[in-house]
Amino acid sequence: MSYIVNTTHLTKQFEGKEVVSNVNMKVKQGQIYGFLGPNGAGKTTIMRMLLNLVKPSSGEITLFGQKLTPTSYEVFKRIGSIIEYPVFYDKLTARENLELHCQYMGLHNRKAIDEALELVQLTNVDGKAVSHFSLGMKQRLGIARAIATKPELLILDEPINGLDPVGIKELRGLFSLLSKQYGMTLLISSHILGEIEQIADTIGVISGGRLIEECAMNDLRGRHTVYVELVTTNIKKAAYVLEHILELSNFRIINDSMIRIYETDLSQAEVSKTLIMNDIEIESINKRHTTLEEYFLQLIEGGQAHA
Amino acid sequence: MLKLIGLELKKGNLGWYWKGALIATLVIIVSVGLLPYVEETESQVFSDMAGAFMAIGTFVRATFIVFAAVLVAKLIIDEYKSKTITVLFTYPINRTRLMLSKILIISVVTFLSVVISNIIVVCGFLITNHYMHYVSDPLTADFLIEETARMLLYAVSAAGMGLIPIYFGMRKKSVPATIVSSILVVAIFNSNNPGFTLSSFIAIPLAVAAIGFLFAFWSIRNIEHRDIA
Repeated sequence: MSYIVNTTHLTKQFEGKEVVSNVNMKVKQGQIYGFLGPNGAGKTTIMRMLLNLVKPSSGEITLFGQKLTPTSYEVFKRIGSIIEYPVFYDKLTARENLELHCQYMGLHNRKAIDEALELVQLTNVDGKAVSHFSLGMKQRLGIARAIATKPELLILDEPINGLDPVGIKELRGLFSLLSKQYGMTLLISSHILGEIEQIADTIGVISGGRLIEECAMNDLRGRHTVYVELVTTNIKKAAYVLEHILELSNFRIINDSMIRIYETDLSQAEVSKTLIMNDIEIESINKRHTTLEEYFLQLIEGGQAHA
Repeated sequence: MLKLIGLELKKGNLGWYWKGALIATLVIIVSVGLLPYVEETESQVFSDMAGAFMAIGTFVRATFIVFAAVLVAKLIIDEYKSKTITVLFTYPINRTRLMLSKILIISVVTFLSVVISNIIVVCGFLITNHYMHYVSDPLTADFLIEETARMLLYAVSAAGMGLIPIYFGMRKKSVPATIVSSILVVAIFNSNNPGFTLSSFIAIPLAVAAIGFLFAFWSIRNIEHRDIA
């Protein structure tokens, strides 16, 4: 499978401070790549570098298999983007902004604009200057602009900011549609996992300027399954019973009153029955999921400790 | 390039500029008409026709060099301030050409404004002079041809000078720096200097214009390699 975006040892320093360090990022064709990290982790800087707005201090970027140089221009015909927050020529209307965009991009298709506005469900905005738009409307218009020319690669920086829950859901649908129906490759950044968890095929986690994890979403889901959380007063004895009577090996003592059991072949009832028969007082026993959220928080905290 | 210029003009409608230019021209006509009264000494502000034409030219150029700075602020600095530059610079278009098209608009508009305004003010002056008799030497065809040539030459010079503020504005992306530098440019280069020799008649304005264009190109050199924050 070919990579649409490929960075090798990508590094950027601002005034001696490294804000992006040695990032090797790979975005496969046709995928939705969720780019996850806290604010200030370097997501926007990386996206700016992909768009040639910021030049790498060292390292290399390849887009569509071609090396990006300071004077690469043609490649941007194939890319649509929003960086940070969408900006427009405020005094012009939505349509005028899109017309300008299409002309600069070298696309002359009157229908493209209507189509884009319809896809983001931004209608009845004719004759209204963009300066009167709400943040949510600007966000939609920004996406409309990014997709108007049907680019092969979409780079969207925090596209869901400023939208209400209904809007977020609509956009998720739109992103899936763009990926499936139009075969676009999407690179979407966010600082909230929940926003992209459901649609991303691959997740890249960035913290402190470093890419600390890059893996397929499916692998992640498999990795983080269910566990039983047991709270008891007698942790030693409980551990003994789990290990020797129930013959479980995959459990972890979290603190002096809590154990997590990761093997789930046994039913919760069986575990509690055996524990009680062995005179172990159970304060609570629950089945739980580690959310991906927890996992990412751990990753990010770990990443920051190194940074 | 023409297409880029067209798109630039679509983005920022220049109606405000022409309106402002018209008002400024009317103000200049009135000031020129009043000048002999303000100046109390009888040592004549306008010693002759040539002197009057020179004063008018100086007035007009000073005005439109500052106007050019406003254009620089609108067309260039504002794109950075409002961050639309990040949109503009992700288009599949050479950034130097994008900036050149803006610079071209600024210099051509300044040139045209200086020429048109100059003609209007001169006409205004000739009409007032007909009644007020500020100066009495006759208008000859030779004189008019020479003055027209001079006016065109100085308009080119003004179009160049108007670009110098790009350099100062771009350093910190500052509108005040743009405007203030234009006023300094006027103060330094546009002083009314009597005793022109024939060689300075052509050389100086062209040199000043060249300096202006150099400043503009210097400001956008390597724009490909600069980070857009």
